[in-house]
Amino acid sequence: MYRWDFTPVLANWPLLAQGLVNTLKVTSTSLVFGLALGLVLALLRLSPRPVLSWPAGFVIEVFRTTPPLVQLFWFFFALPLLIGVEMTPFIAAVVTLSIQSAAFFAEVFRGGIVSIERGQWEAAKAVGMDRRQTLHRIVLPQAVKRMIPAFMERSIELMKTTTLVATISYADLLFAANEISQKTFRPLETLTVAALIYFVVIFAFSLAMRQVERRLAVTGETTVRR
Amino acid sequence: MNHRWDFASVLDNTDALLAGAAGTLRIFAICIVAGLALGLVIGLGRTSQRRWIHWPASAFVEFFRNTPVLVQILWFYFALPMLVPFSINPLGAAALGISLNSAAFTAEIVRGGIQSIDPGQWDGARAIGMGWGQAMRRIILPQALKRMTPALTNRAIEIFKMSTLASTVAYVELLQQGKLIASINYNPIEAYTAVAVIFFIVLWPMVQATYALERRLRRDE
Repeated sequence: MYRWDFTPVLANWPLLAQGLVNTLKVTSTSLVFGLALGLVLALLRLSPRPVLSWPAGFVIEVFRTTPPLVQLFWFFFALPLLIGVEMTPFIAAVVTLSIQSAAFFAEVFRGGIVSIERGQWEAAKAVGMDRRQTLHRIVLPQAVKRMIPAFMERSIELMKTTTLVATISYADLLFAANEISQKTFRPLETLTVAALIYFVVIFAFSLAMRQVERRLAVTGETTVRR
Repeated sequence: MNHRWDFASVLDNTDALLAGAAGTLRIFAICIVAGLALGLVIGLGRTSQRRWIHWPASAFVEFFRNTPVLVQILWFYFALPMLVPFSINPLGAAALGISLNSAAFTAEIVRGGIQSIDPGQWDGARAIGMGWGQAMRRIILPQALKRMTPALTNRAIEIFKMSTLASTVAYVELLQQGKLIASINYNPIEAYTAVAVIFFIVLWPMVQATYALERRLRRDE
Protein backbone atom coordinates (compact mmCIF):
# COMPACT_ATOMS: atom_id res chain seq x y z
CA MET A 1 0.00 0.00 0.00
CA TYR A 2 1.35 3.39 -0.99
CA ARG A 3 2.04 5.82 1.86
CA TRP A 4 0.93 9.31 0.86
CA ASP A 5 3.21 12.11 1.98
CA PHE A 6 2.41 15.67 1.01
CA THR A 7 5.16 17.39 3.03
CA PRO A 8 7.73 17.49 0.17
CA VAL A 9 5.11 19.13 -2.06
CA LEU A 10 4.02 21.63 0.55
CA ALA A 11 7.67 22.52 1.23
CA ASN A 12 7.84 23.67 -2.42
CA TRP A 13 4.68 25.76 -2.36
CA PRO A 14 6.43 28.99 -3.51
CA LEU A 15 7.32 27.24 -6.78
CA LEU A 16 3.70 26.16 -7.27
CA ALA A 17 2.42 29.63 -6.39
CA GLN A 18 4.80 31.21 -8.90
CA GLY A 19 3.64 28.65 -11.47
CA LEU A 20 0.01 29.58 -10.87
CA VAL A 21 0.87 33.27 -11.24
CA ASN A 22 2.58 32.52 -14.56
CA THR A 23 -0.41 30.47 -15.73
CA LEU A 24 -2.71 33.40 -14.96
CA LYS A 25 -0.29 35.78 -16.68
CA VAL A 26 -0.30 33.80 -19.94
CA THR A 27 -4.08 33.34 -19.73
CA SER A 28 -4.88 37.02 -19.19
CA THR A 29 -2.39 38.32 -21.77
CA SER A 30 -3.64 35.88 -24.41
CA LEU A 31 -7.23 36.70 -23.50
CA VAL A 32 -6.75 40.43 -24.07
CA PHE A 33 -4.94 39.99 -27.39
CA GLY A 34 -7.24 37.15 -28.41
CA LEU A 35 -10.41 39.19 -27.86
CA ALA A 36 -9.07 42.21 -29.75
CA LEU A 37 -7.76 40.14 -32.65
CA GLY A 38 -10.93 38.05 -32.62
CA LEU A 39 -13.11 41.12 -33.10
CA VAL A 40 -10.90 42.32 -35.97
CA LEU A 41 -11.01 38.88 -37.63
CA ALA A 42 -14.80 38.70 -37.25
CA LEU A 43 -15.31 42.14 -38.79
CA LEU A 44 -12.97 41.30 -41.66
CA ARG A 45 -14.75 38.02 -42.26
CA LEU A 46 -18.12 39.77 -42.36
CA SER A 47 -16.82 42.34 -44.83
CA PRO A 48 -18.55 42.31 -48.22
CA ARG A 49 -15.13 42.58 -49.91
CA PRO A 50 -13.62 39.15 -50.67
CA VAL A 51 -10.04 40.50 -50.37
CA LEU A 52 -10.78 41.08 -46.69
CA SER A 53 -13.20 38.28 -45.84
CA TRP A 54 -11.28 35.51 -47.57
CA PRO A 55 -7.91 35.79 -45.74
CA ALA A 56 -9.70 36.29 -42.41
CA GLY A 57 -11.74 33.15 -43.04
CA PHE A 58 -8.57 31.27 -43.90
CA VAL A 59 -6.79 32.29 -40.69
CA ILE A 60 -9.85 31.39 -38.61
CA GLU A 61 -10.24 27.96 -40.23
CA VAL A 62 -6.53 27.09 -40.01
CA PHE A 63 -6.29 27.93 -36.33
CA ARG A 64 -9.56 26.22 -35.48
CA THR A 65 -8.73 22.99 -37.30
CA THR A 66 -5.10 22.38 -36.35
CA PRO A 67 -4.10 21.14 -32.89
CA PRO A 68 -2.90 23.93 -30.58
CA LEU A 69 0.21 21.95 -29.61
CA VAL A 70 1.28 21.78 -33.28
CA GLN A 71 0.74 25.55 -33.54
CA LEU A 72 2.79 26.15 -30.41
CA PHE A 73 5.70 24.05 -31.70
CA TRP A 74 5.52 25.83 -35.03
CA PHE A 75 5.67 29.28 -33.42
CA PHE A 76 8.41 28.25 -31.00
CA PHE A 77 10.70 26.10 -33.18
CA ALA A 78 9.91 27.05 -36.78
CA LEU A 79 8.96 30.74 -36.85
CA PRO A 80 12.15 32.10 -35.18
CA LEU A 81 14.28 30.40 -37.86
CA LEU A 82 11.98 31.59 -40.60
CA ILE A 83 12.04 35.28 -39.69
CA GLY A 84 15.29 35.34 -37.74
CA VAL A 85 14.10 36.61 -34.36
CA GLU A 86 14.68 35.38 -30.83
CA MET A 87 11.61 33.73 -29.34
CA THR A 88 11.14 33.28 -25.61
CA PRO A 89 8.73 30.61 -24.38
CA PHE A 90 6.47 33.34 -23.00
CA ILE A 91 6.23 35.21 -26.30
CA ALA A 92 5.69 31.99 -28.29
CA ALA A 93 2.96 30.97 -25.84
CA VAL A 94 1.18 34.32 -25.94
CA VAL A 95 1.41 34.62 -29.74
CA THR A 96 0.08 31.09 -30.29
CA LEU A 97 -2.69 31.22 -27.71
CA SER A 98 -3.76 34.73 -28.76
CA ILE A 99 -4.18 33.77 -32.40
CA GLN A 100 -5.68 30.39 -31.54
CA SER A 101 -8.27 31.84 -29.18
CA ALA A 102 -8.86 34.78 -31.55
CA ALA A 103 -9.98 32.26 -34.20
CA PHE A 104 -12.58 30.92 -31.78
CA PHE A 105 -13.55 34.35 -30.43
CA ALA A 106 -14.01 35.55 -34.02
CA GLU A 107 -16.69 32.92 -34.56
CA VAL A 108 -18.40 33.99 -31.34
CA PHE A 109 -18.33 37.65 -32.43
CA ARG A 110 -19.59 36.74 -35.89
CA GLY A 111 -22.40 34.59 -34.48
CA GLY A 112 -23.44 37.40 -32.16
CA ILE A 113 -23.36 40.09 -34.86
CA VAL A 114 -25.27 37.90 -37.33
CA SER A 115 -27.90 37.14 -34.66
CA ILE A 116 -28.96 40.79 -34.53
CA GLU A 117 -32.02 41.32 -36.72
CA ARG A 118 -31.66 43.01 -40.09
CA GLY A 119 -34.22 45.59 -39.00
CA GLN A 120 -31.66 47.10 -36.64
CA TRP A 121 -29.25 47.69 -39.53
CA GLU A 122 -32.01 49.14 -41.69
CA ALA A 123 -33.24 51.44 -38.95
CA ALA A 124 -29.70 52.71 -38.33
CA LYS A 125 -29.28 53.34 -42.04
CA ALA A 126 -32.60 55.17 -42.07
CA VAL A 127 -31.39 57.62 -39.45
CA GLY A 128 -28.24 58.19 -41.50
CA MET A 129 -25.62 56.01 -39.80
CA ASP A 130 -22.93 54.35 -41.87
CA ARG A 131 -21.72 50.74 -41.43
CA ARG A 132 -19.10 51.60 -38.84
CA GLN A 133 -21.45 53.74 -36.75
CA THR A 134 -24.20 51.13 -36.88
CA LEU A 135 -21.81 48.43 -35.76
CA HIS A 136 -20.33 50.55 -33.00
CA ARG A 137 -23.49 52.12 -31.62
CA ILE A 138 -26.33 49.74 -32.45
CA VAL A 139 -25.26 46.19 -33.25
CA LEU A 140 -22.23 45.45 -31.06
CA PRO A 141 -23.75 46.69 -27.78
CA GLN A 142 -26.66 44.30 -28.28
CA ALA A 143 -24.56 41.46 -29.67
CA VAL A 144 -21.94 41.52 -26.91
CA LYS A 145 -24.51 40.63 -24.30
CA ARG A 146 -25.59 37.53 -26.18
CA MET A 147 -21.96 36.53 -26.60
CA ILE A 148 -21.01 36.68 -22.91
CA PRO A 149 -21.66 33.00 -22.06
CA ALA A 150 -19.72 31.81 -25.12
CA PHE A 151 -16.85 34.17 -24.28
CA MET A 152 -16.59 32.87 -20.77
CA GLU A 153 -16.60 29.28 -21.94
CA ARG A 154 -13.81 30.01 -24.43
CA SER A 155 -11.83 31.78 -21.70
CA ILE A 156 -12.00 28.67 -19.56
CA GLU A 157 -10.89 26.58 -22.54
CA LEU A 158 -8.02 29.03 -23.02
CA MET A 159 -6.91 28.64 -19.43
CA LYS A 160 -6.87 24.85 -19.80
CA THR A 161 -4.95 25.15 -23.06
CA THR A 162 -2.21 27.18 -21.34
CA THR A 163 -0.91 23.94 -19.80
CA LEU A 164 0.60 23.19 -23.24
CA VAL A 165 3.20 25.92 -22.67
CA ALA A 166 4.88 23.62 -20.14
CA THR A 167 6.09 21.58 -23.15
CA ILE A 168 8.24 24.51 -24.33
CA SER A 169 9.61 25.02 -20.80
CA TYR A 170 7.58 28.03 -19.76
CA ALA A 171 7.36 27.86 -15.96
CA ASP A 172 3.59 27.60 -15.59
CA LEU A 173 1.83 25.60 -12.86
CA LEU A 174 2.14 22.28 -14.70
CA PHE A 175 5.83 22.87 -15.42
CA ALA A 176 6.47 23.73 -11.75
CA ALA A 177 4.65 20.55 -10.68
CA ASN A 178 6.80 18.49 -13.04
CA GLU A 179 9.96 20.05 -11.62
CA ILE A 180 8.91 19.37 -8.06
CA SER A 181 7.91 15.78 -8.77
CA GLN A 182 11.31 15.09 -10.34
CA LYS A 183 13.13 16.78 -7.48
CA THR A 184 11.21 15.10 -4.66
CA PHE A 185 10.38 11.75 -6.35
CA ARG A 186 6.76 12.36 -5.37
CA PRO A 187 4.89 12.49 -8.71
CA LEU A 188 1.64 11.19 -7.21
CA GLU A 189 1.32 13.89 -4.56
CA THR A 190 2.67 16.73 -6.71
CA LEU A 191 0.52 16.05 -9.78
CA THR A 192 -2.54 15.46 -7.59
CA VAL A 193 -2.00 18.81 -5.89
CA ALA A 194 -1.49 20.51 -9.25
CA ALA A 195 -4.68 18.93 -10.63
CA LEU A 196 -6.60 20.10 -7.55
CA ILE A 197 -5.28 23.66 -7.89
CA TYR A 198 -6.38 23.73 -11.54
CA PHE A 199 -9.74 22.28 -10.54
CA VAL A 200 -10.36 24.85 -7.81
CA VAL A 201 -9.45 27.83 -10.02
CA ILE A 202 -11.29 26.63 -13.14
CA PHE A 203 -14.33 25.35 -11.23
CA ALA A 204 -14.64 28.73 -9.50
CA PHE A 205 -14.67 30.40 -12.94
CA SER A 206 -17.25 27.87 -14.16
CA LEU A 207 -19.55 28.55 -11.22
CA ALA A 208 -19.24 32.30 -11.71
CA MET A 209 -20.02 31.77 -15.39
CA ARG A 210 -23.18 29.80 -14.61
CA GLN A 211 -24.28 32.56 -12.26
CA VAL A 212 -23.86 35.19 -14.98
CA GLU A 213 -25.67 32.97 -17.49
CA ARG A 214 -28.59 32.57 -15.11
CA ARG A 215 -28.79 36.29 -14.57
CA LEU A 216 -28.66 36.94 -18.32
CA ALA A 217 -31.45 34.41 -18.82
CA VAL A 218 -33.59 36.23 -16.25
CA THR A 219 -33.10 39.68 -17.76
CA GLY A 220 -33.77 38.34 -21.24
CA GLU A 221 -32.58 40.28 -24.24
CA THR A 222 -32.63 43.79 -22.81
CA THR A 223 -29.40 45.68 -23.00
CA VAL A 224 -30.44 48.42 -20.59
CA ARG A 225 -27.80 48.99 -17.93
CA ARG A 226 -29.15 49.14 -14.42
CA MET B 1 12.54 35.95 -44.91
CA ASN B 2 15.07 34.34 -47.25
CA HIS B 3 14.59 30.82 -46.02
CA ARG B 4 14.71 28.26 -48.82
CA TRP B 5 11.87 25.85 -48.23
CA ASP B 6 12.97 22.27 -48.74
CA PHE B 7 10.36 19.62 -48.15
CA ALA B 8 12.56 16.87 -49.60
CA SER B 9 14.04 16.29 -46.13
CA VAL B 10 10.54 15.67 -44.82
CA LEU B 11 9.47 13.48 -47.73
CA ASP B 12 12.57 11.32 -47.18
CA ASN B 13 10.99 10.38 -43.85
CA THR B 14 7.60 9.34 -45.16
CA ASP B 15 7.93 6.04 -43.30
CA ALA B 16 8.27 7.84 -39.99
CA LEU B 17 5.26 10.03 -40.77
CA LEU B 18 3.20 7.00 -41.76
CA ALA B 19 4.09 5.31 -38.47
CA GLY B 20 3.01 8.51 -36.73
CA ALA B 21 -0.25 8.64 -38.67
CA ALA B 22 -0.96 5.04 -37.66
CA GLY B 23 -0.32 5.96 -34.02
CA THR B 24 -2.61 9.00 -34.26
CA LEU B 25 -5.39 6.91 -35.82
CA ARG B 26 -5.00 4.18 -33.20
CA ILE B 27 -5.33 6.51 -30.23
CA PHE B 28 -8.14 8.42 -31.97
CA ALA B 29 -10.09 5.19 -32.51
CA ILE B 30 -9.63 4.05 -28.90
CA CYS B 31 -10.59 7.42 -27.43
CA ILE B 32 -13.62 7.99 -29.62
CA VAL B 33 -15.12 4.58 -28.83
CA ALA B 34 -14.28 4.70 -25.11
CA GLY B 35 -15.12 8.39 -24.73
CA LEU B 36 -18.50 8.23 -26.47
CA ALA B 37 -19.59 4.98 -24.80
CA LEU B 38 -18.61 6.12 -21.31
CA GLY B 39 -20.05 9.55 -22.02
CA LEU B 40 -23.40 8.02 -22.94
CA VAL B 41 -23.52 6.01 -19.70
CA ILE B 42 -22.50 8.96 -17.53
CA GLY B 43 -24.85 11.32 -19.37
CA LEU B 44 -27.74 8.94 -18.69
CA GLY B 45 -26.55 8.74 -15.08
CA ARG B 46 -26.75 12.52 -14.78
CA THR B 47 -30.39 12.54 -15.83
CA SER B 48 -31.24 9.91 -13.19
CA GLN B 49 -33.55 10.84 -10.31
CA ARG B 50 -31.66 8.60 -7.89
CA ARG B 51 -29.09 10.51 -5.94
CA TRP B 52 -26.52 7.70 -5.68
CA ILE B 53 -26.37 7.53 -9.48
CA HIS B 54 -26.78 11.22 -10.20
CA TRP B 55 -24.19 12.43 -7.72
CA PRO B 56 -21.10 10.39 -8.77
CA ALA B 57 -21.89 11.05 -12.43
CA SER B 58 -22.00 14.80 -11.78
CA ALA B 59 -18.79 14.73 -9.73
CA PHE B 60 -17.03 12.88 -12.57
CA VAL B 61 -18.25 15.39 -15.16
CA GLU B 62 -17.30 18.44 -13.09
CA PHE B 63 -13.87 17.12 -12.24
CA PHE B 64 -12.86 16.10 -15.76
CA ARG B 65 -14.38 19.16 -17.42
CA ASN B 66 -12.66 21.55 -15.06
CA THR B 67 -9.09 20.22 -15.18
CA PRO B 68 -6.77 20.46 -18.20
CA VAL B 69 -6.49 17.24 -20.19
CA LEU B 70 -2.68 17.49 -20.24
CA VAL B 71 -2.62 17.39 -16.44
CA GLN B 72 -4.82 14.29 -16.57
CA ILE B 73 -2.51 12.55 -19.07
CA LEU B 74 0.60 13.31 -17.01
CA TRP B 75 -1.20 12.20 -13.86
CA PHE B 76 -2.06 8.83 -15.41
CA TYR B 77 1.48 8.45 -16.73
CA PHE B 78 3.58 9.56 -13.73
CA ALA B 79 1.27 9.40 -10.71
CA LEU B 80 -1.06 6.43 -11.25
CA PRO B 81 1.77 3.82 -11.45
CA MET B 82 2.56 4.68 -7.80
CA LEU B 83 -0.91 3.47 -6.80
CA VAL B 84 -1.37 0.41 -8.99
CA PRO B 85 0.83 -2.70 -9.17
CA PHE B 86 1.29 -2.57 -12.96
CA SER B 87 3.13 -0.15 -15.22
CA ILE B 88 1.32 2.15 -17.65
CA ASN B 89 2.61 2.68 -21.17
CA PRO B 90 2.36 6.02 -23.02
CA LEU B 91 -0.62 4.87 -25.10
CA GLY B 92 -2.49 3.72 -21.98
CA ALA B 93 -1.90 6.96 -20.09
CA ALA B 94 -2.77 9.23 -23.01
CA ALA B 95 -5.82 7.18 -24.00
CA LEU B 96 -7.09 7.18 -20.39
CA GLY B 97 -6.71 10.94 -20.06
CA ILE B 98 -8.29 11.80 -23.41
CA SER B 99 -11.10 9.21 -23.09
CA LEU B 100 -12.16 10.27 -19.60
CA ASN B 101 -11.98 13.95 -20.54
CA SER B 102 -14.07 13.34 -23.68
CA ALA B 103 -16.51 11.20 -21.70
CA ALA B 104 -17.17 14.15 -19.39
CA PHE B 105 -17.87 16.51 -22.31
CA THR B 106 -19.92 13.85 -24.14
CA ALA B 107 -21.99 13.26 -21.00
CA GLU B 108 -23.04 16.91 -21.04
CA ILE B 109 -24.00 16.65 -24.72
CA VAL B 110 -26.05 13.52 -23.97
CA ARG B 111 -27.75 15.16 -21.00
CA GLY B 112 -28.56 18.27 -23.04
CA GLY B 113 -29.92 16.14 -25.87
CA ILE B 114 -32.15 14.06 -23.61
CA GLN B 115 -33.45 17.07 -21.70
CA SER B 116 -34.28 18.87 -24.96
CA ILE B 117 -36.87 16.21 -25.80
CA ASP B 118 -40.42 17.29 -25.00
CA PRO B 119 -41.75 15.69 -21.75
CA GLY B 120 -44.87 14.71 -23.69
CA GLN B 121 -42.78 12.04 -25.41
CA TRP B 122 -42.13 10.40 -22.03
CA ASP B 123 -45.79 10.64 -21.12
CA GLY B 124 -46.80 9.13 -24.44
CA ALA B 125 -44.35 6.24 -24.04
CA ARG B 126 -45.60 5.56 -20.51
CA ALA B 127 -49.22 5.73 -21.66
CA ILE B 128 -48.68 2.81 -24.04
CA GLY B 129 -46.99 0.83 -21.27
CA MET B 130 -43.26 1.34 -21.85
CA GLY B 131 -40.84 1.27 -18.92
CA TRP B 132 -37.96 3.76 -18.50
CA GLY B 133 -35.48 1.61 -20.43
CA GLN B 134 -37.81 0.99 -23.33
CA ALA B 135 -38.91 4.61 -23.58
CA MET B 136 -35.29 5.77 -23.49
CA ARG B 137 -34.11 3.28 -26.09
CA ARG B 138 -37.01 3.44 -28.51
CA ILE B 139 -38.44 6.93 -28.14
CA ILE B 140 -36.12 9.42 -26.46
CA LEU B 141 -32.57 8.48 -27.53
CA PRO B 142 -33.31 8.15 -31.27
CA GLN B 143 -34.71 11.68 -31.30
CA ALA B 144 -32.04 13.07 -28.97
CA LEU B 145 -29.20 11.48 -30.95
CA LYS B 146 -30.22 13.38 -34.05
CA ARG B 147 -29.99 16.70 -32.21
CA MET B 148 -26.70 15.68 -30.64
CA THR B 149 -24.94 14.78 -33.90
CA PRO B 150 -23.26 18.15 -34.63
CA ALA B 151 -22.00 18.42 -31.05
CA LEU B 152 -20.73 14.84 -31.18
CA THR B 153 -18.87 15.34 -34.45
CA ASN B 154 -17.33 18.44 -32.89
CA ARG B 155 -16.18 16.24 -30.01
CA ALA B 156 -14.61 13.83 -32.50
CA ILE B 157 -12.67 16.71 -34.04
CA GLU B 158 -11.54 17.82 -30.57
CA ILE B 159 -10.40 14.27 -29.77
CA PHE B 160 -8.38 14.17 -32.99
CA LYS B 161 -6.66 17.42 -32.05
CA MET B 162 -6.13 16.29 -28.45
CA SER B 163 -4.33 13.15 -29.65
CA THR B 164 -1.24 15.35 -30.21
CA LEU B 165 -0.94 15.67 -26.42
CA ALA B 166 0.13 12.01 -26.34
CA SER B 167 3.48 13.21 -27.70
CA THR B 168 4.23 14.69 -24.26
CA VAL B 169 4.55 11.14 -22.89
CA ALA B 170 6.55 10.08 -25.98
CA TYR B 171 3.75 8.10 -27.64
CA VAL B 172 4.54 7.69 -31.34
CA GLU B 173 2.01 9.81 -33.23
CA LEU B 174 2.24 12.49 -35.93
CA LEU B 175 3.56 15.37 -33.83
CA GLN B 176 6.06 13.11 -32.06
CA GLN B 177 7.35 11.96 -35.46
CA GLY B 178 7.50 15.58 -36.59
CA LYS B 179 9.72 16.33 -33.59
CA LEU B 180 11.90 13.35 -34.46
CA ILE B 181 12.30 14.41 -38.09
CA ALA B 182 13.04 18.00 -37.05
CA SER B 183 15.76 16.90 -34.63
CA ILE B 184 17.44 14.50 -37.07
CA ASN B 185 17.39 16.75 -40.13
CA TYR B 186 17.53 20.19 -38.43
CA ASN B 187 14.48 21.22 -40.44
CA PRO B 188 11.88 22.33 -37.86
CA ILE B 189 10.30 24.76 -40.33
CA GLU B 190 9.43 22.09 -42.87
CA ALA B 191 8.78 19.30 -40.35
CA TYR B 192 6.27 21.24 -38.22
CA THR B 193 4.67 22.86 -41.25
CA ALA B 194 4.17 19.39 -42.76
CA VAL B 195 2.55 18.12 -39.55
CA ALA B 196 0.26 21.15 -39.39
CA VAL B 197 -0.73 20.70 -43.04
CA ILE B 198 -1.49 16.99 -42.51
CA PHE B 199 -3.79 17.79 -39.59
CA PHE B 200 -5.49 20.54 -41.57
CA ILE B 201 -6.08 18.27 -44.58
CA VAL B 202 -7.57 15.53 -42.39
CA LEU B 203 -9.70 17.76 -40.16
CA TRP B 204 -10.93 20.33 -42.69
CA PRO B 205 -13.46 17.95 -44.33
CA MET B 206 -14.66 16.85 -40.88
CA VAL B 207 -15.21 20.47 -39.85
CA GLN B 208 -17.06 21.24 -43.10
CA ALA B 209 -19.23 18.15 -42.64
CA THR B 210 -20.13 19.36 -39.15
CA TYR B 211 -21.15 22.77 -40.50
CA ALA B 212 -23.31 21.06 -43.14
CA LEU B 213 -24.92 18.85 -40.47
CA GLU B 214 -25.68 21.89 -38.31
CA ARG B 215 -27.28 23.70 -41.24
CA ARG B 216 -29.40 20.69 -42.18
CA LEU B 217 -30.55 20.17 -38.62
CA ARG B 218 -31.56 23.83 -38.30
CA ARG B 219 -33.60 23.48 -41.49
CA ASP B 220 -35.32 20.31 -40.27
CA GLU B 221 -36.34 21.64 -36.86
